[in-house]
Amino acid sequence: MRKGAMAVALFWAAGSAMAAMDIEVLARTCNNCHGVGGISAGTSMPSIGGLPRDYLKNVMKQWKYDERGAATMNRIVKGFSDDEIDALATHFSKKRWVPVPQKTTAALMKKGKSVTFENCEDCHGAKGDDPDEDAPMINGQWAKYMTLELEKYRDDGFKMPHRKMKKNTRKLKQADIPAAAHFFGAQGQ
Amino acid sequence: MSEETAMNAFDRRTFIKALAAASGASILSIPNAHAAKTRARVVVVGGGYGGATAAKYLRLLDASIDVTLIERETRYTSCPLSNEVISGEREIKTLQVGYKGLLKHGVKVVHDEVTEVDPAKKIVTTAGGKHFAYDALVLSPGVDFNYAAVEGYSEQLAQTKLPHAWKAGPQTLLLKKQLQAMPDGGKFIIAVPKGPFRCPPGPYERAAQVALYCKYHGKKKAKVLILDANDSFSKKPLFEQAWKELYGYGPDGMIEWTSAANDGAVTRVDAESMTCFTGFGDHKGDVINLIPPHHAGKVAKNLGLATFKDKWCEVKPESMESTKQKDIYVIGDACVGGELATNNAFPKSAHMAMTQAKVVVANLIAKFNGLPPPVPVYTNTCYSVVAPDWGFSVVHLYRVENGQWVYIKAGSGISPVTFGTKEAPLPVPRIYRKLEAEYADGWLRNVLADAFA
Repeated sequence: MRKGAMAVALFWAAGSAMAAMDIEVLARTCNNCHGVGGISAGTSMPSIGGLPRDYLKNVMKQWKYDERGAATMNRIVKGFSDDEIDALATHFSKKRWVPVPQKTTAALMKKGKSVTFENCEDCHGAKGDDPDEDAPMINGQWAKYMTLELEKYRDDGFKMPHRKMKKNTRKLKQADIPAAAHFFGAQGQ
Repeated sequence: MSEETAMNAFDRRTFIKALAAASGASILSIPNAHAAKTRARVVVVGGGYGGATAAKYLRLLDASIDVTLIERETRYTSCPLSNEVISGEREIKTLQVGYKGLLKHGVKVVHDEVTEVDPAKKIVTTAGGKHFAYDALVLSPGVDFNYAAVEGYSEQLAQTKLPHAWKAGPQTLLLKKQLQAMPDGGKFIIAVPKGPFRCPPGPYERAAQVALYCKYHGKKKAKVLILDANDSFSKKPLFEQAWKELYGYGPDGMIEWTSAANDGAVTRVDAESMTCFTGFGDHKGDVINLIPPHHAGKVAKNLGLATFKDKWCEVKPESMESTKQKDIYVIGDACVGGELATNNAFPKSAHMAMTQAKVVVANLIAKFNGLPPPVPVYTNTCYSVVAPDWGFSVVHLYRVENGQWVYIKAGSGISPVTFGTKEAPLPVPRIYRKLEAEYADGWLRNVLADAFA
């Protein structure tokens, strides 16, 4: 038996594995907006495949329990049990992080490098590829999505729980936002 | 917009490159049954969001399955966000996709029209005289229009003078042209059929996009009149709020809505005098966008599967299999599902069609491999864009319990209309509307990729 078939057989084999299969089914519904394998094809939607498990878990739970604002996701996750959220986080964290390096300009890169050195590098790494549960990797994440996220942190109408992100993003000037987003968006593996 | 479009085209290319750089199986990381030797044959009829997703995911999950997709057209045009084409906010080519992506997954794509299905012999016959035997047949035929339901209307009129543009393509562009030619002070009528119809918020989003065009193209005295065969509609408080704030709403505003109770249902049209007739009144329009009632696509209807009000196909909650014919699955706009008793039916949306397709696929893979059927889950996300920086959405979640669909209220609902409390409501910060307008575009790119790439 080849490896693939074995994996499937194991998935369906025992009662406990049924739950795992259901998560596959549930996770496939996420693909509609976040792409197959969690690699987004839309600039305003984040890639989620390969992000740290605890980051994914925390964000989804914060939305579910209204500790974090969102325009759409907070409504979607409220229908999922905590166990499902944990399993979805585990599922997507096991995917490979695939940066989608985006085109930028020399001027944006230069400005972005200094802005991110001052404000982002400590937690996200110089290239945005040093993840932990608080600071996901952002190398090759969609610049458009990151710009929108930064606007959320800077807007009083948005409930964002991460104090340091809030503080640091509010120090930025308006023109720093696209520079930082494009700098990280242009980074590869 | 043109700069934005160019950027998006670039982003798409880099995205595809990134995908290619990652190794196939690991990025897909779906349990893969490549070695399974079921060699089951599945025929999928209809290459819209539902059919394309079914065909692609069958191959992704079990490459031993022989999948044939039969579709008339060689290029698909997304209905979602096609209202932005009418206002000129979007180029129609950003909504179009071919079938090369499916070929890459090993789907056999046949551009032909199905003329007959023999459910006893399990054979599909096409106009081109080809025959396809199947173990399972997935029908995703979309809708066909009942022109005769509106006196004086016809398919020929829809293609020339009175476009419905309820299937994106040439009629979308025709309607755009008619809007551009409309004089300032002109009246643009949108006639809405009795529900359920494809894309529940579509007519109301269209009204906003038409008003958006008029507002910024020297037609500030234009009127957008919605003549409705229904007494309420999808995302109503969100639309009314946006219409009021952006374009003016009501008898003195640019957008006006006439419900069925107020004699809004159009029963007859006269193309010569450009007049819509309701029960007691008549309305002259410079542009008449008449959306006729529709029903399950004729492939499904001719098979006798449209048992619900003689229009829509009833299916089993756990699998989407037709309640009438074994081994025939009906997905997308043609089917009816959801918690009907509480008026929480599945919305006829692209997103819903895709999750239905994934349910069919999971069920078939298990069945072909002699494994227990997986527990399905149905989700929907649907964005409406009323201005470039103003969008909102509705989400739906359904589970299956005791063989019945259950609408999960906790995981469903529309974007907030107000913040604060009921007694002291506060306006929703504009950033929420802006985000959802941006997400609509991200959603579009992702559903197109998930179904067709």
